[in-house]
This record gives sequence, C-alpha cells and structure tokens, in this order.
Amino acid sequence: MNEVRQEETPPSPEELILLLEAVARGQDHKAFAQLFAHFAPRVKSFLRRSGLADGVAEEVTQEVMIAVWRKASYFDPRRAGAATWVFTIARNQRIDRLRRLRSAAGEELPDPSEQPDAPPSGEDIALAAEREEQVRKALATLPAEQAAILKLSFFADKPHAEIARELGIPLGTAKSRVRLALARLRAMLDRDL
Amino acid sequence: MTIRHHPSDESLVRLAAGALGAGPALVVSVHLQGCAVCRDRLARFEAVGGALLEEMSPAALAPDLFGRTLERLDVDPPEPAPRPVANVKRWPALGIELPSAMRGCEIGPWRWLGPGFRWSKVKIEGSPDAKVMLLKGKAGLHLPGHGHTGLEFNQILSGSLSDERGHYFPGDLDEADDEVDHRPVVAGQTDCVCLAAVEGDTRLHGILGRLLRPLVGF
Ligand SMILES: [Zn+2]
Repeated sequence: MNEVRQEETPPSPEELILLLEAVARGQDHKAFAQLFAHFAPRVKSFLRRSGLADGVAEEVTQEVMIAVWRKASYFDPRRAGAATWVFTIARNQRIDRLRRLRSAAGEELPDPSEQPDAPPSGEDIALAAEREEQVRKALATLPAEQAAILKLSFFADKPHAEIARELGIPLGTAKSRVRLALARLRAMLDRDL
Repeated sequence: MTIRHHPSDESLVRLAAGALGAGPALVVSVHLQGCAVCRDRLARFEAVGGALLEEMSPAALAPDLFGRTLERLDVDPPEPAPRPVANVKRWPALGIELPSAMRGCEIGPWRWLGPGFRWSKVKIEGSPDAKVMLLKGKAGLHLPGHGHTGLEFNQILSGSLSDERGHYFPGDLDEADDEVDHRPVVAGQTDCVCLAAVEGDTRLHGILGRLLRPLVGF
C-alpha cells in the first residue's frame, strides 16, 4: 500500500483524534494513510502560504508527516485537538528549516513539541475540546475583513505590510486593524469563559 | 504573585504562528513559564492555527510523496537521541538563577555598561543574529529617558523597575513599541535583572549605545 487516495469527506475532529491514537498505539499504516491524505496537502498549503518555495514546502511536509508518525504518542487530546497539534509541528518544522537554511552547521535543533509538560488534570480534557470548538465558532462569526486580517497576521511574513497592500490601506491603519481584529476575537473567546 | 504585565495579543499570535523572532520568542517563553494566563491565551491562538490549517485549500502533492514517506517511517530511528539537558559550563557565575526556558542559550559574563549598570550577551542556538541580553541595574539606578526603534520585550527576572507607565515585578513582561518613551528606575532595595530582546535592524551595540549614551553624557 503506497497509494494514498484523496479523501472524500474530511474526518471530524473526533475521528482525527482516533486516527492519531491508532498510530500511537499500533503503528497503524492505514490510519496514517488517512492522516496523510487529510493533513499533508493542508500542511503544504500552509507552508507555501507562509513563504516556502514549492519544493522545500513539499520536503518539510514530508518531515512533518514523519514527525506525526513518530511523535503520535506525545499527542494528548487533553491539550489540543489533532489539527492544532499538527499545526504546531508544522510551525516548528518550518522554524527549524529556516534556521538550518541560515546556519551553515545544519545542526538539529530542539523541538519544543517534544518537551513534556505537567500532566493535565481531568478537567483539561473537556477544556481542550471546548476551546477548539469555541475558536472554530469565533472564526466562523468574525466579519470577513477581520477574518482575512487574522489569517494574514498568522501566515504572512510581514503581516502589517501585506495587510496594508491587500486592503489598500496605509501601514498605520493596518496596525490598528490588526489590533481591532484581535480584540474582537478575544472578546468572543472570553465571553464563553 | 500576580503578574500584571503580559505580552500583547499580537505577539502571542506571532509566537503561535511561528513568526516571532528567536529573541522575542525566548523572552516570551520565559514569561509563559511563569504565567498560566498567557499559556491559556497561547493555547487559544494555537487552536486558531489548527482551525486555519483545517480551512486551507489542499495543495497538490507529488504523486509518490506518500510512498516515499512510508519508506522512511520504519527506516529512520524512531526516537531522537536524548539531548544534554543544560550545558552548565557555558553559564558563567552570574550570581542569579536563570529560568529553565533559557537552557540551550549561551550566556556571556557581566560587562560594564555604565555606573551601576551591567549587561550580558545571550546567544540562542541556531539564531546567531538574535538581539537578546541580560541587563542588571543597581537599586536606585535611574536609566536615561529613551525611545524605541522597534518592539522591545523585557521580562523581569528579579528586583523591580518603575517608569511613567507602571511598576514591574518578577514575572512581568513589558512590551514597548516605538510609541513608548520612558525613564525607568530600579525600584526597591535590590538589584534588578531582566531579560531583554529587541526586534528590528538596530545592531546590539547600537541599542546598548542608545542606553549608555545619556548615562555617560555624550
Ligand atoms: Zn502573562
């Protein structure tokens, strides 16, 4: 089995957690194939969006998926959802790649996702799932322009400049719009606390 | 201990997105170690990252990428070699205990910067250009008034600072942008040690020079 079929319906957050747990428990290649079909194209898209060239983005995507396989036992649904966990791996691998491109030594750097934290309490289980749901809802209800600003603040290398260019507004205005969008998001997230 | 000063939402978003420079990221990580409120804020912004990842339109992959990935799964070593926890030898006797988020950093000796004012260079593995330093001021030291060229992050490790905007105690992080013009004073009876990082193109010596110049009067 070395073909991966394109997914028809994306797995639900709960299904993704089960797939990761299957990989952690039994080195399950079938579960991994589903995770790959779901995450690899999105991870590559994220890496392209945040400035990596196509070939490098694909290499890093492969590293990310290998890390998903190897670190699946570190995944803890009490801390974060599956997509959030994969996102942090992709983010760290991207930072690592950029640092290695800059330093001649090419040494392996510590990956923060490997560092064990304090064990979560029972309450955290519900909290993490709730938090993810809350964030998804907040993003869905954010006005289109603010959602776009949030996306650019997340994925752009020079967010203020890109927001200014994309929305055709001065740099100073872009800065205050970012502040507004984040304040709005924060108000939505805090309301549900 | 109540922490009153926290990094901005923007900086936490950038940390969550992996877009905060290594220097500011280190200072904010030291803050996070001691601040549960900000750890929770960061977790939310990381969840935003997860949600945005889910929304990404899938990119085309090389048809054999999955096959090549499968081949590597069981070939490469499954566990990375354990890293040395901290290289204590590279930490000179600074007379203070540093937070564990700084392990992996190379810390220079205290150097004279002005009367009652010392600094030490902090090197981050893999990021030689990061502008990070420890600053130590004697109790009662009045720093000259200064502005900022880019964002500056300052985490209080011990002692306390005051300026026109407030009081800063251990655990507090002061984030100052180019609109902030202040005149910090080392308050209380003890020396103040902070970890500071600066963003932007100014060279480290330019930043130190800017702090130092008014002190020595030129
Ligand atoms: Zn905080």
